Amino acid sequence: MLILGNQIKTLNLQISYDTKLNNATYDALKAFQLNTINSDTSDLANSKLRDIEASANTFFNSVASNFNMAGYNQDILKEYVPALVYTMYDGYYIYSPYTNTLDDTNSNEVIINETTGETDQQSDAEILNEGNTDATYKEGDKISGLKPYIYYSCRYQRGTDDFVITYSLDNYITIQGTINGQWVYDYGYLLDNINITTSGSSVSYRYRGIPILNEETSEYVYDPDRDEIVNYQYIKINGVKYYKYENENDATNNGKWFSILNGTKYWQGQFDDTNSAAIKYYQEAYDFTQKIKNKTYIDSNGVTQNDGYGLTDLTGANAVDEDGNRLEELDENGNRTGIPKLGNYPIFDFGDTNSPDGSIEDQDSNFNQQRLAVIRYSIEKNLSIAIANYNNYSGVTANFQMPELKEDEWEKILNNVSIISFLQGLNIGGKVYNGYSIITNNKNEEVVSEDSIYIVTNDNQYHKANDNDLVGNTNINKGILNIDFERKSNTNSNGITRYFYPQENLGCYTSIVSQTNVNSTDNMYEYIASNGGTLAQVYFTALGRERYSMYKTNNNSDELKVKFGYIP
Amino acid sequence: MGDTLITVIAIGLAAVLMFVFPLMTMSDRTDDVSQLTVATATTEFVDDVRTTGKLTMDKYSKFVENISSTGNSYDVEMELQVLDENPGKKTTQAESTKIGENVYYTMYTSQILETLESGTLALKEGDIFSANVKNTNTTLSQQLKNFLYSVTGNDTYTIAAEHAGIVTANGTGN
Repeated sequence: MLILGNQIKTLNLQISYDTKLNNATYDALKAFQLNTINSDTSDLANSKLRDIEASANTFFNSVASNFNMAGYNQDILKEYVPALVYTMYDGYYIYSPYTNTLDDTNSNEVIINETTGETDQQSDAEILNEGNTDATYKEGDKISGLKPYIYYSCRYQRGTDDFVITYSLDNYITIQGTINGQWVYDYGYLLDNINITTSGSSVSYRYRGIPILNEETSEYVYDPDRDEIVNYQYIKINGVKYYKYENENDATNNGKWFSILNGTKYWQGQFDDTNSAAIKYYQEAYDFTQKIKNKTYIDSNGVTQNDGYGLTDLTGANAVDEDGNRLEELDENGNRTGIPKLGNYPIFDFGDTNSPDGSIEDQDSNFNQQRLAVIRYSIEKNLSIAIANYNNYSGVTANFQMPELKEDEWEKILNNVSIISFLQGLNIGGKVYNGYSIITNNKNEEVVSEDSIYIVTNDNQYHKANDNDLVGNTNINKGILNIDFERKSNTNSNGITRYFYPQENLGCYTSIVSQTNVNSTDNMYEYIASNGGTLAQVYFTALGRERYSMYKTNNNSDELKVKFGYIP
Repeated sequence: MGDTLITVIAIGLAAVLMFVFPLMTMSDRTDDVSQLTVATATTEFVDDVRTTGKLTMDKYSKFVENISSTGNSYDVEMELQVLDENPGKKTTQAESTKIGENVYYTMYTSQILETLESGTLALKEGDIFSANVKNTNTTLSQQLKNFLYSVTGNDTYTIAAEHAGIVTANGTGN
């Protein structure tokens, strides 16, 4: 009877811990979301790191305050968190403890005598240890922090070809390596169903038969100089928005473009008035897709090119590890079975909507299957190492092991920006707690998913794209990225914080607030295309525009600006 | 004569001590186990709805099935507070220094079940979902207790669980 009572206590404690962990992880995600939406630089690598560090701190604070009842404080709880994982657009961060290592070699050292070129022959570690006891970092320190970004990448070998493909949360890939004897560093979106027709001097782009158009985009923004919230025309390039200043009382600056960074206005050169991001998205996706398909191809301008890669026969069986060994399934004794780990199907199964396999951007395409397999393999491998290594850092005598995640949980991780937290080794009487929590959310600057585009109608409401009210609706106005309906804040140089909504429309009650009237489609592309009309045009244009405008590490802002008619 | 009476009383007392009290303690433990099952199932159910943003008839039936496996009948009350951001949006747009306000409207069990019959109920980030479970039958331990001392009142449940929390994901993508 006593045993039963104890077991009940243990189980009750376990469920209460699960809930607390869920709540703490959600707090961490919310912190990340708020920071990315409100910061002008959230997509740049170092400020993304700052946002994630802040989010990790929120997690530990929240864990500490949630668990305070049980008598644990933040520092003690840190001992029980072997890893926090932040999955991002094209890779992920693992937050866990590591040993700080200073450079031990004597090469590449600092020149100490300019004239003779004599270098300091000491290693960094020796220099730092030389009586400098106040240094922040010491050799061999154990620090918790973010480990280097790991891309969702996989190495493939095929004949003499040896290259790495980096996948992302959508159909954007990066290829680096040797293909056909050439060094290749290329990236782009894979999209089927694009038609380009030229008649005279005009070129028209169609996606799934829907014409894509140029547009003018505008939104409300806090103008720090005027201390007002004004509706300006804008274009977004590599994650940064450039606004066109319009003020008839200010003749010198009227019509100039500017960007805002930390509450300060920076004047820029001139851009084109039309936002052609959507057309560029489909045009560049067309060229990149052709390149992957064939070695010799006809590009979007109708010119025959010879720099294609021809990767349609690449299969999952070509995947190798960092040592060049084929990735194979292992049996229970850890022996190689000869079965390819990542499948034996052609990865790039192009086709149009009429082909039996569907298009490459469809959820059930081979490409998507490979993408998910690579992401999962990469996370599983690195995370289990991080958690196993935690045994070397933790003062707790628990054996840290990676729990087995369920299939539906992987599903969530593979398609969304997510935070996975682990809490292990707490004694809950009779057994040791080993829990984890996965919280996912796509409402951030990281990714533009098919669900991220909202449709604005002329009655000043915004809807989900699969809202049944939009079918056959003639009042459709424009497509907008979901985070532009979120409240933003900006602080000017006088320290005044203003709150504003970039798009001031109201959420539709049946699709945004309560979501009772939405079509539950699995394939957004197909659903939208089959409805056609203004809805499809607005949706595909907005999806292309937002995907083309989002920040990507591969992008070069200066080159992109020129594409939008930039005159310094 | 007096001996016989004492013997009868002794037998009666012995019967109560040997049978009724162990039975009571055992049935009490059964209720404890039921209580644990119900508490676990409720927490899991609510947390699942919270983190997926989806409530389906399937999930609900499984939950009811789980708690019914304890052999008791239960009254399940659900409550969904739907966040309506629009009022906050109107005020902040007018006055840009105001941080905003959250307004919720509420759906209760019967409304939720009505929606479930015609499909999935999708929740969104920021909504609040809660479930409250109480037993409606009289469990064995309650019967035994009523036999010794009667507990009166309408709400004489012994097994109850409650869990609530904020929804963390959108049920229909974003």
